[in-house]
Amino acid sequence: MSIKADYENYTLLSYHHIPDVHRIDIFEAAGGYEMMKKWVGTDPDKIKEEVKNSGLRGRGGAGFPTGVKWGFFSKDRNAKKYLLCNADESEPGTFKDRYLVEVCPHILIEGMVISAWALGTQRGYIYIRGEYYHQAQVLEKAIKEAYAKGYLGKNILGSGLDFDLAVHRGAGAYICGEETGMISSLEGKKGQPKLKPPFPAIKGYRGLPTMVNNVESLAAVPWILRKGATAYKAWGTEKSPGMKLFSISGDVNKPGVIEVPLSIPLIDIIEKHCGGMKDGKKLKAVIPGGSSAPVLTAEEVMTTKMDYEDVAAKGSMLGSGAIIILDETRDMGAVLKWTLEFYHHESCGQCTPCREGTGWLEKILKRGEAGHGKPEDIKLLDTVAANMRGRTICALADAAAMPTQGMVKKFRKELEDYIVRG
Amino acid sequence: MSENFEFTKENLERYNELLTRYDDVESAILPVLHLAQEQHGWLPDFVLNKISSMMKVPVIKLKEVVSFYDMYYDHPTGRNIIQICTNITCSMYGSRDIHKALLQEYKTENMAPCDDGRLYFQKMECLGACSDAPCMRVNNDYYGKINLESAKKIIRVLR
Ligand SMILES: Cc1cc2nc3c(=O)[nH]c(=O)nc-3n(C[C@H](O)[C@H](O)[C@H](O)COP(=O)(O)O)c2cc1C
Ligand code: SF4
Ligand code: FES
Repeated sequence: MSIKADYENYTLLSYHHIPDVHRIDIFEAAGGYEMMKKWVGTDPDKIKEEVKNSGLRGRGGAGFPTGVKWGFFSKDRNAKKYLLCNADESEPGTFKDRYLVEVCPHILIEGMVISAWALGTQRGYIYIRGEYYHQAQVLEKAIKEAYAKGYLGKNILGSGLDFDLAVHRGAGAYICGEETGMISSLEGKKGQPKLKPPFPAIKGYRGLPTMVNNVESLAAVPWILRKGATAYKAWGTEKSPGMKLFSISGDVNKPGVIEVPLSIPLIDIIEKHCGGMKDGKKLKAVIPGGSSAPVLTAEEVMTTKMDYEDVAAKGSMLGSGAIIILDETRDMGAVLKWTLEFYHHESCGQCTPCREGTGWLEKILKRGEAGHGKPEDIKLLDTVAANMRGRTICALADAAAMPTQGMVKKFRKELEDYIVRG
Repeated sequence: MSENFEFTKENLERYNELLTRYDDVESAILPVLHLAQEQHGWLPDFVLNKISSMMKVPVIKLKEVVSFYDMYYDHPTGRNIIQICTNITCSMYGSRDIHKALLQEYKTENMAPCDDGRLYFQKMECLGACSDAPCMRVNNDYYGKINLESAKKIIRVLR
């Protein structure tokens, strides 16, 4: 007897309880590929309309509405165009895309075939970070199965859609998660971002229109078509509709990936979904959206709802949905130092404010750690960070500056202790 | 002595298959480098020269790519590459101390082959497995919730 998917409580993890659901026969028996069969070959505008009406916001970090982005894409169905799935997942703290595809690769493939039909793209790539070697193999195998069934390749299910899909492995560079860096990398170059505009939707991979969407965004498409935009919007808020994956790590009893409606109280994630604080310790702070999201104090956490607008109202961002929980014993200076080491290491070096700025920020923290800090250094951190913002080709410089300024603002006293403890 | 590099028969088939996935040859550079490195362990000039002549792309282009990415090596590694995450959550759970202690144990430095070429340690950024912090990646396998003892045990049996 086959086990059915749970479409009532989940949109993305609806198949995750099914053993061996990475196999195409088991996925299909549970309800998988039904939406592809139903929608591929129908009016592409209807699909785009439904996705737009669902209010789905891109899950890679920026939260730009997927349907609106699709609307900017070339409407010429015969022109050569690409669909690029962003599975680079390098924002520290994030591991949801890995969990999604390693258990259920076909949900992504189904989402991509439907999207390819809606957008009129003939070729697609799943750009997956190099470290995810086994996950790349899971996807390769799933793609082979899909080809064998005629769900990929020429004239898919007699619909007239030709769509080829391949996995492309990165090689250990955070900046390849940024969409234009990813395109450079796919072109066989250093993963250096390119100035926008032109946006990839107009001029992307090989100079041709390229739609870049995150794994979670594309995998949400089959559910939205199955149950409809209105059902999707029953979850979350008007501006943050639907369900979201969160990756939770740090000082809780049960860290991991969960799928919950947007706008869930952050404290419920900690207490109800993650079994509360580890070892009965007290909460000190939470990084709510990956390492580039400014930190929230314990007090702010109590009233924070995990939707795009409420986290922004608290001066931070929902980002990739990576939540790092810090208990009362954690040293915020050390946390900031680790964060800045990362950004300095990952800056691609094209823009002076980013290359020099991340270097400076790291240096200030390191000399503090070594006992050579000065009281003025706190102000310097803030000034250097402020000067990095909005002046660079991509948002990595901002991603380093924002958590720095957040830490100065929220944990100034502790940073002073770290930097000038002598 | 000039050294030679040839793909094995099986890898040559994979090479040819890889080229069919893309609309131009340059796009296959990353996967081809992965393949060559899988076979040779790292990417010395003679390997890059061979790839350059096979793909008809200038060797300087390949070198640029090799130097940009953390997972391509322009120097000898070891038969086993041991990567330890030192990003936020793993550092909270002691990964930096484990990394340091392992370097001491094997009397080596970060990113230098040791133990007669058996091992090579590399400090990494977030590996995308933070709920199992601290994390270690040995060749292509992930190990979570490690401590110094369990890490040593995993490493000891590597050939
Ligand atoms: C420095 C930087 C790193 C990024 N890393 C990722 C990433 O790892 N995964 C991802 O999906 N998007 C990442 N993004 C966002 C992408 O540029 C892009 O907006 C996204 O893939 C679009 O997909 P979405 O609209 O579905 O979110 C990153 C952006 C920046 C500036
Ligand atoms: S902001 Fe930094 S990472 Fe982005 S393009 Fe400029 S130097 Fe490179
Ligand atoms: S911080 Fe180590 S795996 Fe993410």
